[in-house]
Amino acid sequence: MATIARSAREAVSSRRGNRPDWILFGTMALLALFGLLMIYSATRAGGIVSMERQMIFVVAGVLTFLVTSQIDYREYRHLTPYLYGLMVLLLAAVFAFPERGGARRWIELPLFDLQPSEFMKVMMVLAIASVIAPHSRDDDRPGLSWPKLVLVLAATTLPAALIYLQPDLGTMLVFVFVALAMLFAGGATWRQLTAVVGFGAAIVTFMFQTGRIRGYQMDRIRVLFDPTIDPQGIGYNLAQSKLAVGSGELFGRGLFQGTQTNFQYVPEQETDFIFTAVAEQLGFVGGLLVLAAFTVLVWRLLLIAANGRDRFGALIVVGISAMFVFHVFINVGMTMGIMPVTGLPLPFLSLGGSSFLAMSFALGIANSVWLRRSPVPGENYVV
Amino acid sequence: MKFSLRLATLGAIFVAMFSVLGLRLWFVQVAEGAALAQVAQELKWESRHFEAPRGDIYDRTGELLVTSRYVPAVEVDRAFVTPEQRADLIQRLSALLGVPAAEIDAMYEAAGTNGRFTVGVVSTTTATALATRLESFPGVEIVKQPERVYLTGPDLAHVIGHLGLPTPADLEANPDLDPTVRIGQLGVERTYDEYLRGVPGTWEYRLVRGEVVESRPETPPKAGESVHLALDLELQEVVSKALAEGIELANEVKSAERAAGEDVYSEAQRGAALVLDAQSGQVLSLVSLPTFDPNVFVSGIDQETFDELRDRRAFNNLAISGLYPPASTFKAVTYAAAEQYQLPLPENGDGVDPVNRTVHCDGQIVFDLADGSQQVKHDWYTGDKGWLDIHGALEQSCNIYFWSIGLGVHQNRARLEGNVLQDFARDLGYGPATGIDLTAEASGTIPTPELFEDWKEFQLANPDVPPRLEPSRLDLPGGPFLGGDLMDLAIGQGALTATPLQVAVSYAALVNGGQVLKPAVVAEVRDSSGTPIYQHVPTVERTVEIDPGVRSSLLIDLGRVVNSGTARAAFVDFGPGVEDIGGKTGTGQTTPNRDNHAWFTGVAPLSDPRYVVVVLIDEGGSGGRVAAPVARHILQYLMGNEPTPIVEGEEAD
Repeated sequence: MATIARSAREAVSSRRGNRPDWILFGTMALLALFGLLMIYSATRAGGIVSMERQMIFVVAGVLTFLVTSQIDYREYRHLTPYLYGLMVLLLAAVFAFPERGGARRWIELPLFDLQPSEFMKVMMVLAIASVIAPHSRDDDRPGLSWPKLVLVLAATTLPAALIYLQPDLGTMLVFVFVALAMLFAGGATWRQLTAVVGFGAAIVTFMFQTGRIRGYQMDRIRVLFDPTIDPQGIGYNLAQSKLAVGSGELFGRGLFQGTQTNFQYVPEQETDFIFTAVAEQLGFVGGLLVLAAFTVLVWRLLLIAANGRDRFGALIVVGISAMFVFHVFINVGMTMGIMPVTGLPLPFLSLGGSSFLAMSFALGIANSVWLRRSPVPGENYVV
Repeated sequence: MKFSLRLATLGAIFVAMFSVLGLRLWFVQVAEGAALAQVAQELKWESRHFEAPRGDIYDRTGELLVTSRYVPAVEVDRAFVTPEQRADLIQRLSALLGVPAAEIDAMYEAAGTNGRFTVGVVSTTTATALATRLESFPGVEIVKQPERVYLTGPDLAHVIGHLGLPTPADLEANPDLDPTVRIGQLGVERTYDEYLRGVPGTWEYRLVRGEVVESRPETPPKAGESVHLALDLELQEVVSKALAEGIELANEVKSAERAAGEDVYSEAQRGAALVLDAQSGQVLSLVSLPTFDPNVFVSGIDQETFDELRDRRAFNNLAISGLYPPASTFKAVTYAAAEQYQLPLPENGDGVDPVNRTVHCDGQIVFDLADGSQQVKHDWYTGDKGWLDIHGALEQSCNIYFWSIGLGVHQNRARLEGNVLQDFARDLGYGPATGIDLTAEASGTIPTPELFEDWKEFQLANPDVPPRLEPSRLDLPGGPFLGGDLMDLAIGQGALTATPLQVAVSYAALVNGGQVLKPAVVAEVRDSSGTPIYQHVPTVERTVEIDPGVRSSLLIDLGRVVNSGTARAAFVDFGPGVEDIGGKTGTGQTTPNRDNHAWFTGVAPLSDPRYVVVVLIDEGGSGGRVAAPVARHILQYLMGNEPTPIVEGEEAD
C-alpha cells in the first residue's frame, strides 16, 4: 500500500498538479467578448449603456469562474441541503416584488436585479448529483435505487413548481431536461426513466384537467405549427426573427448592417433574440461558428465528466453540460421557429447579469472538477 | 451500462440536438435564405395614418371657439380580410352601421389591396356594440378619429369657415395632403389650414400573407397649432344680434310704408356688419346674415340642408364678398379728395359759388350736357337746405354739392392729373380686394374712362353677352365715360361698387392719417407650448397723403353727421360721449324696382379714432333710418355705454 501511495505522490509531483481547462475558459471568454460586440450592435442606437453593464458582468463572471475553480467541488456535497434550502427561500422571495411584464422573477437589489431561478439551475445540478452519487466506497451497487429516484423527483418538483408560478415555462423545462440527463448518467434503468416520464406526463395531464396551464403557454406551442393564429402577437416575433435570420444568408449582411435587427424590428434582440442579430449580420457562417463554440464547450464538459475523480463530480459536470445544451437548443431553435418562444437566454451572449454569473459559476465548478481529476490514469473512482 | 457508455450516449444525443440546429440554420439561411432575403427586400411598406386633431381657435380674450374631440370611427384593413369574407363582411357592416352596402363596397374597392378605409364615424353605442363582436368582423377596427366642434355655432360661421375633403386642385397644389382627411375649405379654417392641420401620425409595416413581419416605430399624430382671432366673441354676439334686429327693423319700416301706400319692392333678408381697428387693421367683429351652423358640415351635410342654405345665400360672407354701391358713405372720400386737392367747383352753374366753395342745396341741380341740352338731377330731400359749404354738405348729405364736385372735376379734366377721384379712391382701398386673411373676398369696381373703354370693346366684340353699358354710349365721340358718371361716382353711385370691408378700410385710412391697412381676423398663432409662432403686425399697404387739416375737419364733420346731421335721430339715445362719435349715412340705389341698400359707417372716438363700424342692410331702405341705429347700438357697446334698443332713425341718404 505504501508503495502505491508513494508512486501516486510521485505521479502528482511529476505532473506538478493539474492545469486548468484553458480551452473551456477560452471558449467562455470568446463567447462573452462576442456577446459584448453583438449587444453593442443591437443597442448602439440607445448608446453604450447596455454594453457597459454587460462588461461589468463579464468581469464579475470571470472572477466567479476563477474563484469557483479554486474551491474543491467536494465541499458542496456537505453544504447542499443548506444551499438548496436557501435557494428555495430566494425563489419564494420573488413573489414579494412587483410584477414586470406579467411575471415575477426578480429580487430587486441596489445595483442589479437578481434572478434566483438562474442560480437555481446550478443548484439543482448540485442537489441531484449529491443525491444519486454513491456516498462511500462501499456503496458501489450498480444502478440507481428507487428511494434516490423519488428524492430526485421531489427535489426537482419543489423549485419547478415555484418557477412555474412566476411563471417561467422555459426554466422549468431546463430542470426536466437536466434531471433526465443526470438520472440517465447516474445509472437509472429504462424502467426508472419510463416511470419518471410517466410522472411528468401525469403532472401535465393534471394541470390540463384543472385548467392550470395558461392559455398563452399553449399558444406559444401552437403558434409553431400555425403562425396565423396570432399574426400580431407571438407569431409576429417569430416571423420577424425568422425573416431576419433568413435574410442573413451565407455570409450575413455585415456587422452593424442588420436592417431588421438594428432598427429594432426584432424585439428583445439584445437578450433572448441575440442569435437573430448574429445570424442576420454574420450569416450562416457566423451562426455556425457560435454553434461550434458551444459544441467545444459541451465536448470539454463531457471530457471533464469522463475524467472526474469521483461520480459526484462527474454527475455535476454532466448536469452542467445538459444545461448548456438545452439552453442553446431552445434559444437558437426559437429564433428559427422550431422551438416555442420562452425566455431562455443564450449562455454568455445574451444581455443579463444573473444568467452570466450563474453560467460562470457552473463552468467554474466544472473546472474545479477538472483540476481535481485523478492524477493516476485508471484511478478515477474515488469517493 | 457502464458510466462511460452512458456518457457517450448523452454525447450522441447532444450532437444530434446541435445537428438539428445546424441543419435548420442551413435551411433557413442558405436554402430558403435567398427567398426570405428577397421577401424582406421586396416587401412593400404599408403605412397607416392617424389623423391629427386640428388646432383650437380662440377669440382675442382667450375664449375657446372651435376645438377638436375624438369620436369612434370604424375602419377596415383589407390586409386582414380574405376574399371569401368580403361580401359577408360588407353586408354585416352595412346592417350594423346603416350605410348602404354598395357604398361600403365602393370604398372597399377604392382602398386597393392591403389598403385601409374609414367606413364612418359611429356613435359610442354602436362602437361598444361592435367592440364586443369584433372577432366576427375580420379586418375591422374601431379607431378614434378627431372631429371638429364649433362651440359658437352660427355667430362665427363666415369667419371660421368649415372643413371639407381636399379638391383635386388642393391635392395638386399640395401632394402631401391625405385625400381622405378634411381640410379647411373656407374662412380661417382655410387660410390658416397649414397651422391648424397638425401632423398626422404614421405607422409603417410590411406584410407577408396577412402577417406583419416588420414595422417601424409608430409616430403619434401632432395636434395643430392654435389660432387666436383678433375678433372678440362678446362683441361679435352684440353685432350679430344688432344686425338681425336691424333687418327686422327694416322690414317693420317697410310694412309701415306699404301700409301708407308707398312703393315697397322686397323684404330685407341680408346684411353685413363689421368692426375694424382703425390703427392696426385687426377685425374685431365681422358678421354676415343670414348665417348657418358650421356644425352641419362636421358629420357630412345632407343635400336638402345644403340646398336650402345655398338658396338663402347663407354661405356668402357679404361683409367681404357682397358688392354694393357705397352710396353716401363714399362722400367722405370725395370730401377728402376735394379738400386735399382743392378740386374746382363748376364755373358757370346756377346755385354754385366756386369762389366761396358753397352750393345752394335746394333739392335740384341743373347742368349742361355735352350736346348743349340741359339736365336736371333731383336730390333725395325736398325743400331748401340753403347755401352749404362742404362741411354742411357732408353733415346734410347734400348730393347737389357732391354732384358739383364731380361736375367740376369733369369740366377741368384736361387740367387735372389722371382720374383724380378714382385714383384717390383706389389708393384708399376701393377696387382691388383688401387682402384680408379670409377666403372668397371680392374686388369692387371703380368706374374710369379706361374701364368703360374696355367694357365698350368687349361689348362690341361680344354682342351676345348682356351689355353693361347702354348701347347709346357706344357711339359717343368722346368715349362712353360721361360727366354724369363722375357725378354719380362723387356720391358713391353709378358703376362704383365696394364691399363693406373696403368701406371700412377706406374710413380707417381717412381717420388714421392715411394708412391703408391690410385687414386681419387672426391676431396670433401659438404652438402647443403656448409660444407665439405668428403674430399679426399692422401691414400698411399704402400711405395716402391726407393733410392733418383735412383729416381733422373730416373728423369734425363726421361728428356733425351724428350730432346734428342725417344720423342725429338715430344717435339721440347714444348717451354720454356722443360728441366723440362720428359717422356717415348711406342709401344705395339699386336697379329699378328694388329697395335701397341701407349703409352706415361709424368712427369712434373722434379724438383718437380707434373703431370703424360698418353696417349694411341689403335692400334695407334708408341708411339713416335703419342702418344708423344698428351702428349706434354697436358703438354704444364699444364706448362703454349701455346699448339701447334699435329703433327707427330719420329718413336720410
